[in-house]
Amino acid sequence: MFGFLLQRAWQACIVVVAMSVLVFCGVHAVGNPVDVLISPDATQDIRASVIAQYGFDQPLWRQYLGFVGRLIHSDFGRSFVYNMPVSELILSRLPATLELTLAAVLFASLVGVPIGMYAGYRPHSFVSRAIMALSILGFSVPTFWFGLMLIMIFAVQCGCMPAGGRGETVSLFGTEFSFLTADGLSHLVLPALNLALFKFSLMIRLARAGTRELMLSDTVKFARAAGISEFTILRRHVLRLISIPLVTVFGLEFGSTLAFAVVTETIFSWPGLGKLIIDSITSLDRPVMVAYLMLIALLFTLINLVVDLTYALLDPRLRKGRA
Amino acid sequence: MSDTPFSRFLGDFRKNKVATGAAIVVALIVVLAVIAPLVTPQNPYDLAHLVLRDARRPPGYVGSAGYTHWLGTDSQGRDLLSAIIYGLRISLQMGVIAGAVAFALGALVGCAAAYVGGRVESLAMRLVDLQLSFPAILLAFVMAALFGQGRSQLILALIFAQYAYFARTAHGAAAAERQKDYVEAALSIPLSPWRVVFKHMLPNSLPPLIVVATVQIASAISLEATLSFLGVGLPPSEPSLGMLIANGFQYLLSGRYWISIYPGLALILFIVSLNLVGDQIRDQLNPRLHR
Amino acid sequence: MTAPPFSETRSALLDVSNLKTWFPGDRGEVRAVDGVSFSVSPGEVLGIVGESGSGKSVTGFSIIGLIDEPGRIVEGAIKLEGRELIGLPQEELRKIRGRIISMVFQDPMAALNPVLSIGTQIRLALEAHERIGPKEVRERAIAALAQVRISEPERKIDFFPHQFSGGMRQRVAIAIALLHRPKLVICDEPTTALDVSIQAEILSEMKALVSDLGTALIWISHDLATVASIADRVAVMRSGHVVESGPALAVLTRPQHDYTKTLLNALPSRASPGELLLRSAGVPDAAPPARKEVPDDVVALGSPYLVINNVVKTFAKPAGLFARLQFGLAGAKPPSASNAVDGVDIVLNRGEVLGVVGESGSGKSTLGRMAAGIIAPTSGSVRLAGQPVMSSGTMPRKVTTRIQTIFQDPFASLNGRMRIGEILSEGPLAHRLISRGEAPNYVRQWLAAVGLDPGYANRFPHQFSGGQRQRIAIARALAMQPDVVVCDEPVASLDVSIQAQIINLLIRLRSELDLSLIFISHDLSVVRHLCDRVVIMRRGRIVEQGAAEAIYARPQNEYTKRLLAAMPMLPRSVAGLEPATGPL
Repeated sequence: MFGFLLQRAWQACIVVVAMSVLVFCGVHAVGNPVDVLISPDATQDIRASVIAQYGFDQPLWRQYLGFVGRLIHSDFGRSFVYNMPVSELILSRLPATLELTLAAVLFASLVGVPIGMYAGYRPHSFVSRAIMALSILGFSVPTFWFGLMLIMIFAVQCGCMPAGGRGETVSLFGTEFSFLTADGLSHLVLPALNLALFKFSLMIRLARAGTRELMLSDTVKFARAAGISEFTILRRHVLRLISIPLVTVFGLEFGSTLAFAVVTETIFSWPGLGKLIIDSITSLDRPVMVAYLMLIALLFTLINLVVDLTYALLDPRLRKGRA
Repeated sequence: MSDTPFSRFLGDFRKNKVATGAAIVVALIVVLAVIAPLVTPQNPYDLAHLVLRDARRPPGYVGSAGYTHWLGTDSQGRDLLSAIIYGLRISLQMGVIAGAVAFALGALVGCAAAYVGGRVESLAMRLVDLQLSFPAILLAFVMAALFGQGRSQLILALIFAQYAYFARTAHGAAAAERQKDYVEAALSIPLSPWRVVFKHMLPNSLPPLIVVATVQIASAISLEATLSFLGVGLPPSEPSLGMLIANGFQYLLSGRYWISIYPGLALILFIVSLNLVGDQIRDQLNPRLHR
Repeated sequence: MTAPPFSETRSALLDVSNLKTWFPGDRGEVRAVDGVSFSVSPGEVLGIVGESGSGKSVTGFSIIGLIDEPGRIVEGAIKLEGRELIGLPQEELRKIRGRIISMVFQDPMAALNPVLSIGTQIRLALEAHERIGPKEVRERAIAALAQVRISEPERKIDFFPHQFSGGMRQRVAIAIALLHRPKLVICDEPTTALDVSIQAEILSEMKALVSDLGTALIWISHDLATVASIADRVAVMRSGHVVESGPALAVLTRPQHDYTKTLLNALPSRASPGELLLRSAGVPDAAPPARKEVPDDVVALGSPYLVINNVVKTFAKPAGLFARLQFGLAGAKPPSASNAVDGVDIVLNRGEVLGVVGESGSGKSTLGRMAAGIIAPTSGSVRLAGQPVMSSGTMPRKVTTRIQTIFQDPFASLNGRMRIGEILSEGPLAHRLISRGEAPNYVRQWLAAVGLDPGYANRFPHQFSGGQRQRIAIARALAMQPDVVVCDEPVASLDVSIQAQIINLLIRLRSELDLSLIFISHDLSVVRHLCDRVVIMRRGRIVEQGAAEAIYARPQNEYTKRLLAAMPMLPRSVAGLEPATGPL
């Protein structure tokens, strides 16, 4: 178990290093790296001082080391647009995005998996067919369009939900959260629903496919032959077995939800990282992009690490050898 | 009809009426997109034909050119139906080009890895796995951030994001086929490796790749629309469905729903149909459901 | 409704009458079970015997109420101690399952849940019918494991299924089935997936257990010999009907029905070695096409021909960080070292049939694949008439066509996307044994020579039955005009009557074509019937070899002795069996 952990941690390091090389090369491939750090309308003096400060006259490998050094000190430079240190900027936006993403992923899993299991348990019933029809729709509808529809129906037509913003927030451990106030919660519902739709459909489909196959398997037949009730079979046998692929996908999808938050945040004016990155791409605010990419890479590796560990906990075949 | 594996497959497919309908819809949309200039009343991007007076008219409005705008017009007076068909054309182009290249590249990487085996296989597949965990939309952002916006950047981003799915699938299928007795039988004759791979392994690895292809083309189209909507996808000179929807967004709140809704419905109809077709093929291929 | 065919001296525990279980199919209903009647007395062992598709398993699942949708019981009665089970609400049936009737499946690895510990699985089965505390659960579970002779049950209870061997897993499954001391246990091919020696152990232990507990047993099997060794009474099933039933000894020694006679006569153990079975059933009239030219280095019959010299095959555990990571993530198992070959020398004389016998993991299939030039040995050599079978170098390739292979599973060994004609002519064309113009006729000749309609060349594999496919696979190997054929369990997945036909075909073609065969099998009676010489393998090494007759009569090695003793035997016929006349 310890060896496994070590392996994964080691692998995580490799990924982060690889990502930093990639981003570094990417930034250098685009053009003069000086442009990444200072705004184009800066004077020659500022340019020269920045070149000296960041050592762009040094050989490439030293520059890379310098780049890594700055990463470690989380010094990503200053945003041109907001004119503040990028690390501060990103940290101020991160909680909002995390809150939104977590809400979406939890909803998708906690609601999607039971529904999917039901659809797989009774694959031919009318309700299951309806669930599947809706899930294939949810799987296909682009997130942004669904967001537009939500706003149109709930905010414009019926007026019962706010169309954007984060609403009233409460400070917890020094960060602001929406879900603790009624107003904040009402602001959270539509964006979270919007962001959850795809994962929700995905979870339904995965849980259904797994359950449907397992219900025909000898494992379930044997459990039935032992007189174990259907509910216990679903809860103990089937859920345990499908949770292995589900956790894998959950991990992968947490990352992709984090990325797709960009879309939802844009539509619902949710003040998170996503809006920031879109703005920085369109306004060529490169320090922000670099920082965002590195942050995402780090988050990804962390998520993968957690998923791998959960995976090992869930599947005993990965833990011990044959006796 | 003779009893070939393909005809049996087709027969099973036809039993699912929904999937058959979806396949027909996909075929119709593809044909429509290909012959767009012949069927649309207007070339929506020929500025000479646009009349500002006709802008933002509701569905059924008879425009100054004398024909009815069945789905209304957009903010610049374009016939929305024509714009949608042209938009589908662009979306489809992007999806198919990216899908085809990603298919070829992925199948090559996956099959080659399965054939060579050993450390090369492990390393290549590990990289593919890592890339799989990196969402496509993020890759597209990275590409846009690094190389700017444009058609070829977007196609490149789509290929780069999608080939990993094909590689994973191709590798899995090829590695599974490699273990099967009929491949051992071919090696036992012995047939040349070239023949074993192309005549025996590849045709049997194809079906799962086709499933992935339907899903990936659908997701490429959806992704392209999303990026265009966000303004980091195609340039305004190539108005895909995503951009049509984005342009209509601002009018949505003022009640001119059709500018955003109809292009969205067209997009969804196409993606849903593609996914339905893919689903049916996947179910047919799953041996665990046919016992 | 027909009356049960047996006079009941005791009141029956289970009484099945006129049971019909049908499955809707593409072309009307499939009548899997079509009017079956029998009864089981308390403590009695009933053997249900039949080939695949006879409806024996469906009968078992009907009794326990676990017919998969859309199948259904359309008619009949299943009475348990006088209480009708058909039509009972699911909850009532559930209360009976596991408590009064329980079931053991063929493949224990598939039946047990791989991600739950044995203790948890036993607990769930206990809690299905009793409300008991955790301490008692553990005690009962440990006792249950001890009952089926699992050593150190206190420790093993926390194990997961993958930590047990196949036989141990089946013992766990049996322990779960016996938890509530049911009155009836249905065993569906419980030893089929196991090695002969494990099978013998399970058989005798099961016998002892049911007689201790007074449990009645329905033992479903395709194997007459195992049924003979455990059952008090036997019912023979064929296409949904019971064709014959009665006391085991009577049915197996004085069969009345033609089908039962056919089943018995199809067994190689009841014929003298080398004899055609079932009155030469399945032997074609047509002769195989003549070989164009015989290579001049072919030695005389009886001289050493294929020489396997000290071959070793090791399967390296995936080394390096990335390889291990990949296996971890994909959930795939790295190839195990258990089927390795560890220094084997074999000389195959021309024209002889050499049997290679071993249990799973003995390395016999790996040896066969090396002999056939499909995989390269890690060290050592395989030479045919002095020439190496594979090229040397980093990616060795087979360089001869004179050794061909026949595989076990006829459903996997034919490429489903090719027509039969192409499957048969592909190799000969690639190696210029025939010209393109000759191909259609060559294919027709070979189809006739293996007893198939020459007009089948345009069909696809899915249009054939298992036996027919195995004939095609034989034709594919022989169309390459080989001198040596490696047969890897070629009859193991076939029903006995089909198995007899394929054995007949091999006997016939072997003598017509002067073939030398390496016949790999786990089935000692088939090997005895076909082989001149026998090699016994265990854990990658040869433990004993010699003339078949000598080894079967006077085994020297302890392992061979145990293996032969474990072989299930049919009771010797009292009244001589007249040859079967019924259709196959």
